[in-house]
Amino acid sequence: MRGCKDFKKNIVAFLSGELAGEEKENFISHLETCPDCQEELRDTEGLMKSADSYQTDIDQALASVDWEALPAKITETVFRVEEMPSRKGRLTDFLGWMSQPKLRPVYAGILVGLLIGSLATILVFQSPWLKKAGGAGFMVSQDFLDRVDLEMARRETLDYLDKSQYLLLDFVRYSPEGEAELWKDEFTVNQARDLLSKKKYINPQLDKLRMAKAKAICDQIEFLFYELTQVKDDLTREDLERIQRLIEEKQLLLKINLLKKELKESEV
Amino acid sequence: MNGPTQVLPLEEISRYPMLEERAVRNEDIHALVERIKEGDRGAFMTVTRLYQKKVFLLAFSFFRNREDALDIVQETFLRFYQKVHMFQKEKNFQNWLLQIAKNLCIDYYRKHHSKQIEFENERDIENMSHPQQKDNEFRSIDLKQIFSRSLKKLTQKQRMIFVMKQYNQLKYTEIAQILDISVGTVKSLHFKAVQKLRAAVTPYLGR
Repeated sequence: MRGCKDFKKNIVAFLSGELAGEEKENFISHLETCPDCQEELRDTEGLMKSADSYQTDIDQALASVDWEALPAKITETVFRVEEMPSRKGRLTDFLGWMSQPKLRPVYAGILVGLLIGSLATILVFQSPWLKKAGGAGFMVSQDFLDRVDLEMARRETLDYLDKSQYLLLDFVRYSPEGEAELWKDEFTVNQARDLLSKKKYINPQLDKLRMAKAKAICDQIEFLFYELTQVKDDLTREDLERIQRLIEEKQLLLKINLLKKELKESEV
Repeated sequence: MNGPTQVLPLEEISRYPMLEERAVRNEDIHALVERIKEGDRGAFMTVTRLYQKKVFLLAFSFFRNREDALDIVQETFLRFYQKVHMFQKEKNFQNWLLQIAKNLCIDYYRKHHSKQIEFENERDIENMSHPQQKDNEFRSIDLKQIFSRSLKKLTQKQRMIFVMKQYNQLKYTEIAQILDISVGTVKSLHFKAVQKLRAAVTPYLGR
């Protein structure tokens, strides 16, 4: 319907009481004759009513604060901080005292002492016999380095699994129509691409440290994200259902959960 | 948030610790600000009492975290005191104060929060361990949790606008002033926020 797109953009403003005058009249007139916009209005109204469910979080946060005591606490802090500039005055006084003429010979003596000490230090450390005694510096064992590598690989893998799990959970919970919308969202697609890059980064670590089980599961996740990012614009309902079934058949989410538990318990 | 409907004189304000600012006249707010410029602690505490909740709500909408929101409340009033001489009477005080809060939220976020995805809660992980229960799992998911997670998918501005409109009952003109954007942009971002939330939440509303 011509002009419907423009009217639909006003639905949220209308429900929020932000439309007025001629704009509001035109909107209401259009609404009376357009079933499509009427349905859109009902759906949006339903969503905004369900937003009340989040009000409890806000109410809980508000109830958790002692609003009666807070202003006094803030006032105390603010005025204490603002009194601190007076300490700058004390610093100026101190500097003024330090710069008086009778202290100059003291400063001269300190300066000469520093110069002599610096020269002596340079001469001592330049001397040949000291260079011979120098060791190789800080040393660590190969075993320590291996353990550090393993711990870093474990953490990187845990991070990858956490982020993948979050994204896959979103995916399996939606209906195919919702999934299609989800994968059209640039934010979601960029998350999947970031995870693909991260997987390439952790591949050598998984191979080197022989974390075969972790690598197998991460490979499955990688395959799934690769397929989704490649065909994001052409995903059909069948594709989405197939991918959902794939996740369920391979019990991917369960495997991620078990692997995460194992990795957390195997902290080095 | 509903406060008393009668307008109170300035000297009465301190007797009502939980007073909402809409019960106070504009000229009284300006009088308080003038006294704060002279270092009046009592006036400062009164202004804090009047606006602390609004600032908290804005920060809470940003961080969804009580502790961070309280830090922002503290910083906002500290910054307000430091900049009180810059406040002009022609401006709306509430919007000016909330603008300070908004800027602090953004700075605080940049310093302390990296881009990270939060873990699923334990209940979701437990449900995953029993795949045969998957059908029931989706139906029993708490709508509040879904809404809370869906809010995270909005951009910062979309989330702030949605929360300020839905829970703070601010007008588009007020939000535009706080965020330093046009009313048209507020309207557009509000629309996009609702569209995104619809896409995220509708599967759980049985539609």
